[in-house]
Amino acid sequence: MMLYLTTFPYQESSCIMGRRDVQIHFLTLLVLYFSVMEERNSTEETPRNNALAQRRSKSYRQSMRSCVEATHLAYTSGLLTALRIPRSRKAPKSCDITKQVDPDQVALLVKKEWQLSYVTPLYQFRHTQLKSYSKQLSAFMVSEKQQGLAIEVGQELGFKVNFSVVLGLAETDKDAETVFIQILSKQVFSAKDDAPKVVWSGWLTCVNGDLDYLRSLPLEFVSLPLFCTRGPESLTVLVKSWFENIFDCCFGPLDINSTNLQWLASLWTGCHPTINIQYLKLVWTLPTLPPMDVTYTVHPQDAWELWDSMRQVDTTEDSISIDEVTGFIKGLQSHFFRHFRIDLSAGSLMQISTALGSSHHSGKIKIASPNYIPTILQLLTECALLKMPI
Amino acid sequence: MSLLKPFSRLTGLNTANILLVENEEQFQQKLADTVVLQEKTVNVNVRLARSLPLPMENEESRPRIDLVVFIIHLTSELSFQSAETSLKYLDPGYFQGKVCFLVTSARNVSVPPERLVSVRTLAASLHCPLLCAEDQTTEGVTTAAHRLLAILKVAAGLVPMATSLYLSTLTRCTVPSDIDQQNFE
Repeated sequence: MMLYLTTFPYQESSCIMGRRDVQIHFLTLLVLYFSVMEERNSTEETPRNNALAQRRSKSYRQSMRSCVEATHLAYTSGLLTALRIPRSRKAPKSCDITKQVDPDQVALLVKKEWQLSYVTPLYQFRHTQLKSYSKQLSAFMVSEKQQGLAIEVGQELGFKVNFSVVLGLAETDKDAETVFIQILSKQVFSAKDDAPKVVWSGWLTCVNGDLDYLRSLPLEFVSLPLFCTRGPESLTVLVKSWFENIFDCCFGPLDINSTNLQWLASLWTGCHPTINIQYLKLVWTLPTLPPMDVTYTVHPQDAWELWDSMRQVDTTEDSISIDEVTGFIKGLQSHFFRHFRIDLSAGSLMQISTALGSSHHSGKIKIASPNYIPTILQLLTECALLKMPI
Repeated sequence: MSLLKPFSRLTGLNTANILLVENEEQFQQKLADTVVLQEKTVNVNVRLARSLPLPMENEESRPRIDLVVFIIHLTSELSFQSAETSLKYLDPGYFQGKVCFLVTSARNVSVPPERLVSVRTLAASLHCPLLCAEDQTTEGVTTAAHRLLAILKVAAGLVPMATSLYLSTLTRCTVPSDIDQQNFE
C-alpha cells in the first residue's frame, strides 16, 4: 500500500506535470489514506487506467493550445491565422444603439473620421481609476510640451484630459468596456471665459473579441485592441507614449486589407433595404505607369440587386460567407471589364464608401449611421486582434 | 493542348534552362539578369514568358526546360489566377521537382493573408517548393537568384547524387492540415 502511494505521483510527473503538482497530489493522497483506511478510493486506483493519464494530457494540451495560438509568434500570420480568419459573418441587423448607449456618447463616435491602430493588452488598466489617469496624462502632456523649446503662452499650457467610459458597446462578458479619451485645451486667441475646445479625441474598444484569445489572457491584462484617434499627430504620439510607459503595451498601425474592405462593402450594401445607402463607391489603384486610380460608383439599387443574387438560396439565414462577398466584387469587376477592358483585380482596392460610412485602406474609418456600429466594430476588432503580434 | 514536356529533348553539355513565368513581366527581367550574372561555371539560359502555353512558333528551337518558375505577386489577385491557369499547360512530369513557386511581397501589410494561404495550399498540393522573395532591393533579387540557381542545378542534373525528385521531397511546401496533430509535449 505505501509503495503504491509513493509510486503514483512519480508516474504522472514523468509525463507533464511540474514539481508543485506532484506535491499537491501526494498530500491529497496521504489525506485519503489516513481518512479512509478500509475502502479503496477509486481515485487511488485510476492511475492503473490509462484513460485518466490521456484525459489529463488532452485538457492540458487544449489549454496550452489556446495560449499558444494567441502567443506563438511564429504562427500568428500563417497557418493559425488562416484558421482564425472568419469565413462567414452574421448579417448586420439594424439595432437602435441608443437603447444600449447614451445618445450623446454615440454622437461622439459617429460622423467623424477615425484613424485606426491596434493595441496589445494593457497591463493593470483599471476602469475605476480613470480620473487619476486623466490627471496623469494631462501632467505628462504639459511636461512633454515644455521640454526643449521656449514655452509659448496660450495653447501649450492648460491641457485638460477627460477619460470616460462608454457603456453598452461591449457585446459579450469578456469584452472590456470602451474608454473614451478627450483632450481639451484653450485656443490661442480665446477670451478668458471661453470653454476649452476638444483638440484631440480617441477611444479604445473591444467588441465581440475572439473568446478563446480573451480567455487565455492572464488576469491582470485588459484587452482593448482597437484604438481610434482623431486629431493632430503630435498629440496622438504623446498619448501613445504615455500608454506605453504606464501600461506596457505596444501600438501599431492597423491597415484594412482588401478582403476586409470587401466585407465592409458587402455588409453595407446588404443594409440597403433598411437604410438607403445612396451610392456605393469603390476606389482601386492600378499598378500602371503612372499609377491609375479608378473610382467606380454604383447605383444603390443595382448594387443591392447584385448582392441579393449573390446571397445563396437561403436568404433567411443569418450568415454571409466569404464566397458571396468575393462573388459580389467579382461581378462588379467583370462588369467593369466588359465596358472598359480594364481588369480591376490586377490592382488593389483602396477605399470604399457609402452613405452609411466610408473606409480607407490606410486605416481610416467613418461611421455615418449609428445603427450598424456593433457589426462594424466587431469586424475592426477582429482585424486588430489578427494584426497584433501577440 | 500543347503541353510543355520535360524530357522531349536531349540536354546540352553543362547547360541549364530555366523558364520564368510572370503575368506582370517586371520582376522576371531583373531576376534573369541576376541569375545569368551570378552563375559562372554553368551555362544558364533564362527564358521569360507571360503565361503558358508557350507560342508554337518557337517549338522547334526551344531547348529542354529544366525548371519552370511561377512568379506570383501577392498584391494582385490576377497574378495568382493567371499562374493557376498556366499550370494546366505543364506536363505532369514537371511536377516531380521541376516546378517552383516564387512569391513576392508576402510581408506587405496590404496583402490579405488568405492569398498567401491559397498559394501555399496550391504549392503543397502539387508538391512544389514555395520561395518568398523580396523584389524591391538588389540583395533580395540576388538572394532569390541564388536560391533558384541551387534548385536549377539539381533539376538540370548537374549536381551528382541528387535528382530533382529527391530534392523536392525535402523542399516541398507543406501545410499542416490539423492543429491536433501538433505535439506540445
